[in-house]
Amino acid sequence: MSLTIVRLYHDLLGTYGDQGNAEILIHRAKARNLDVELVEVTPGMAVPRSGDIYLLGGGEDGPQSAALEMLISDGGLNYAAAGGATVLAICAGFQIIGASLPDSHGQITSGLGLVDAHTIYDSSPRSVGELVIQPSRGELPVLTGFENHQGLTRLGQDMPPLGIVRSGVGNGFDRQEGIWHGNVFGSYMHGPVLARNPELADAVLRSAVGPMPEFKDPFAEVFAIERRNTLT
Amino acid sequence: MTGSLRLSTACIAGALAGRLSIGLGRGRGETLSGRVILALDPKAISKLGAGRDIILVSGTNGKTTSTKNLTSILRDFAGEGVSTSESGANMPAGIAALLAQKPRNRFAVIECDEMYLPKIYRLLSPKVVVLLNLSRDQLHRTGEVRKVSRLWHETFTKDDVTIVIDRDDPFLEYSVANAGHVIRTTFGGRRHPDAATCPSCAAILDWSTGDYLCPCGLGSKLPDVRADKRLNGPQRNTVLVIEAARLMGAEILADEAEDLINRSPDRIYDFSSAGQTISTHLAKNPESWRQALGEVTSDQVILSVNARGIDGRDTSWLWDIDYSKLLGKKVVCTGERRLDIAYRLSVQGIDVSVASSFAEAAETLANEPIQAIVSYTAFQDLLAADLGINKGNSK
Ligand SMILES: [Zn+2]
Repeated sequence: MSLTIVRLYHDLLGTYGDQGNAEILIHRAKARNLDVELVEVTPGMAVPRSGDIYLLGGGEDGPQSAALEMLISDGGLNYAAAGGATVLAICAGFQIIGASLPDSHGQITSGLGLVDAHTIYDSSPRSVGELVIQPSRGELPVLTGFENHQGLTRLGQDMPPLGIVRSGVGNGFDRQEGIWHGNVFGSYMHGPVLARNPELADAVLRSAVGPMPEFKDPFAEVFAIERRNTLT
Repeated sequence: MTGSLRLSTACIAGALAGRLSIGLGRGRGETLSGRVILALDPKAISKLGAGRDIILVSGTNGKTTSTKNLTSILRDFAGEGVSTSESGANMPAGIAALLAQKPRNRFAVIECDEMYLPKIYRLLSPKVVVLLNLSRDQLHRTGEVRKVSRLWHETFTKDDVTIVIDRDDPFLEYSVANAGHVIRTTFGGRRHPDAATCPSCAAILDWSTGDYLCPCGLGSKLPDVRADKRLNGPQRNTVLVIEAARLMGAEILADEAEDLINRSPDRIYDFSSAGQTISTHLAKNPESWRQALGEVTSDQVILSVNARGIDGRDTSWLWDIDYSKLLGKKVVCTGERRLDIAYRLSVQGIDVSVASSFAEAAETLANEPIQAIVSYTAFQDLLAADLGINKGNSK
């Protein structure tokens, strides 16, 4: 079985190391004998419409706006997501996949609308620090990451968060963090989040390929546990 | 109290406090003494700097070594007293203390933290500012590279200072876009990993030629100095330092400049542990790690990672570095965040193990050459542990 992972504009959305999520997915997919192809989408390139997993990372305001403009005019990511492709979007990427967000001048603009989420910038100080959440589904354990963002994101009524904040800020409303709606995952957690939470990496993979055999990766597990024990 | 009496009282009290606190450890005395001075005379920095020839050095990587290098060049070539911070203190308190120490020195070469540069620039009216480079560092504290660049852009709007920059770095070019006097040095252009878009207008930058030229005009100004493309980071910094020294009147001939560039100080120190001498690179952000990895030649490597304030509290950036240079080598990870780096290396297929301390890491390795790359506070821990440190440059 083959799996196509599409990493979107890592030059623009790679400020916080989230590009590592691709390497972790590839590593864990290969351990399950999947044939993995990584498609690196750079500015000017068309976004493939038949990918299985699309990845967006965190970036600075200007590059975030540039990435959003290109994704809107390309349309490939919306097409793939409407067809059920998996999307994992972190921080600036999470804001991009929502319905609205501030542009680099602070004016509210339309996002990709893959999920019903609205990001605003208010006067509160930047949210910076370790973030710990309790997921409500997927038999996921406590997840940890590092948040560093200005915007706060309000989810629509029917939108399930990825988890509830135990410590940190997260989305900034109702102690919610991130989103997990259908096959779309969003989060403010860097780390990269899939490095610090191998169970979430497998949840993302399963949403694309279905059930998979167990994979014990000692370094991944001991690292995830060390972070959880240190922070809870 | 009159202004000058207030200042001299502040300086005497500051010196006393500094001496009393020497037992606190490296650099602390300077900071404490500076705090006392600033508490007693909040205007001490501008008063102590008045009438002196001041050079500020800032940037992400190489501030401390470049400041030392420029100080020693000025001492050799200008033959007059040069004040500088011996400990690398680069915030207002440390700067007040170094200026108070020998107030009659004509020159002062001052390392300045990126975020404090606007304030120190306004207080001191320097003759020259050297901006070495800007890349990602301590994202939890400084915010993003673009923000530092914008802060500098808003600071340097007059023609009362000459600013020396590496124009191949678009963040620096943007920082000085409104400045009156700029010495632009080029090293033939090189891709900046954090500058996919223009720092000025946010357009996507075209790097296909290995250089940038934005339609908004950023990058179009001609360079004043052309230097060798093959120079590494510390050598590039030396080129800028030489230009700054020349602006201060030092006569440096071409062959002397070449010699200085070849002898560029690097952040490499020798430590001894378990009977081994370990050539240790200090690295604290993606760019300095890339440079340090480029220097690795031995088959055994120790990597030590912490995530205290100055190291950057978020370790995610470790995933932004290509470690393929370490494939086939024996790598031991240590430091408080050894698992972060060990897991990252294991995903890249590198043979890696972990050790609870630097000394233990050295013990697990064979009696063959070892190199180490350590983060900032891990390096300070090594100094504190007194592992028979032979501090000095290996070059
Ligand atoms: Zn531009």
